Amino acid sequence: MVKFSISKGRYTYTHDQKYPCENVDIHHIILKSCRANYVFVYTLAVLLLASALYLCILGGKSISIVYYSMLFDIFLVKLLLPKPVKKESVVIMPAFGVQLETHYMSGKIIRCFVPIDKILKPVLVECVTPVTCYWTLSLMIRGESEMVLVFKNLRPPVKMLVHVWKALCAATDIKEEALNTCTTYN
Amino acid sequence: MTGLAGKSMDRKKHRIMMVSDFFYPNFGGVENHIYYLSQCLLKLGHKVVVVTHAYGNRSGVRYMTRGLKVYYVPWRPFVMQNSFPTLFPSLPIIRTILIRERITIVHGHQAFSTLCHEALMHSRTMGYRVVFTDHSLYGFSDAGSIHMNKVLQFTLADVSQAICVSHTSKENTVLRSGLPPEKVFVIPNAVDTAMFKPAVVQPSRSEIVIVVISRLVYRKGADLLVEVIPDVCRLHPNVRFIVGGDGPKRVRLEEMREKHSLQDRVEMLGAVPHAQVRSVLISGHIFLNSSLTEAFCIAILEAASCGLLTVSTRVGGVPEVLPDDMIILAEPDPGDMVLAIERAISMLPKVDPQVMHNRMRELYNWHDVAKRTEIVYDRALKCPNQNLLDRLSRYILNIICSI
Repeated sequence: MVKFSISKGRYTYTHDQKYPCENVDIHHIILKSCRANYVFVYTLAVLLLASALYLCILGGKSISIVYYSMLFDIFLVKLLLPKPVKKESVVIMPAFGVQLETHYMSGKIIRCFVPIDKILKPVLVECVTPVTCYWTLSLMIRGESEMVLVFKNLRPPVKMLVHVWKALCAATDIKEEALNTCTTYN
Repeated sequence: MTGLAGKSMDRKKHRIMMVSDFFYPNFGGVENHIYYLSQCLLKLGHKVVVVTHAYGNRSGVRYMTRGLKVYYVPWRPFVMQNSFPTLFPSLPIIRTILIRERITIVHGHQAFSTLCHEALMHSRTMGYRVVFTDHSLYGFSDAGSIHMNKVLQFTLADVSQAICVSHTSKENTVLRSGLPPEKVFVIPNAVDTAMFKPAVVQPSRSEIVIVVISRLVYRKGADLLVEVIPDVCRLHPNVRFIVGGDGPKRVRLEEMREKHSLQDRVEMLGAVPHAQVRSVLISGHIFLNSSLTEAFCIAILEAASCGLLTVSTRVGGVPEVLPDDMIILAEPDPGDMVLAIERAISMLPKVDPQVMHNRMRELYNWHDVAKRTEIVYDRALKCPNQNLLDRLSRYILNIICSI
């Protein structure tokens, strides 16, 4: 059952409560695939190969230019067209843990489970690169110096991240309150 | 006073992006200027964001006092703390920051900062109003200055308003850049008088201590010190020197100390962290500045705020900084400087450090600098937006003039 959904640009955010127990919260970020990228990169690769073949057959150059251009094409495709990600999901199971899922176009799913005890705090962080600046949602893990990125491949807008962050905060706060209560009674 | 406060409340609030290669964790005139000005502008209700390059591991977004947001863009410094001049590759990150922070005014600092020049150029291309502050004096004849002046002419061809820290600096900037003088405002630097206070217990005047705190480089007159210190020590047996700072000319000072056996009269402290500058200043009676060129010189403000009488070279904007009874000026010549120090020693009994500090509090104030800068921002926003052809013609005219 989709509770809430927003779309911006290529990203769509949906908040799901799929399972009967209704306590399990699922948040999806779905990426619309961009065919233009594929068309551009494959066209470029074909043009490169065609130029190499032209130089080899009509220009009298050695056949090795064709091999090098094929190698370069493979490198270009690997660089510009990384493994296509269909969606990334966050499954929040209160008092148990958080499962981070990456769904690829090929059908492959990579899952990563973080126990609720290990989560110190979910944080929204601004990342600055030499060419851009964007928001990410990360989990601070107890005893670890590195944070765990919730959305490892996608960069959804901060408006979508805020909903997931609030849900994670609610789940981790419940756990903290339970811990504090246990401490008080003991 | 209520009327002024009311005017400040009514004034439109700006979203300012300060951009320079020089910022915290470096300490210097430009760095302190950007920090204090930003803090005072935040207090007046404006939003301020600082963009600079990364310093070592200090990369990404940091927040400072009062929520001052600093973007440490992960570019490595190229030479003398400047980013590598990339021209167009800097456009994506500058544009991203301008849009996400909803900036209204871009304020660049220091002619020597490549990041500043690129940010100003890209901001003008995107139609933002731009203000530039020049903090230093430059020459006209050496290769480095000629190159810098050409870059400055290009960048300032299209700037909305400019600020200089002294009238001498304004004259220098106008001549170097070809800016119309009516576009250039003079807003002097200030000093944090709350931090630089005189000592509670004044040091005894039986032994007169002369303090020097500066980078020991040619530009700051370290070679003059090498000549002046032995002469003063010879003429006045009750005078000793404290020299703080480091640089390539430190070796010359150490050699001078050895040659004239002044180890007990000249104390070399090495690099002094900014937080400890006040404690060094209050241990002295006279502050000696031997710079060969200076647009303003915040160091003498800090010394005067701590109640020290200043002896300085009469260069650049230094004569504009302090009243005549707080500073003795000399030509950048060893003989003249020794005479000036003698005059300072004779004036010392009449100097009251607390009175001097109180006067400095009235004369120099970062809040006043911020209010004056606000006026410049308001003026910049009123400048008409030029179309691309007008802008290009100004750039081309400057290129032709510079050739």
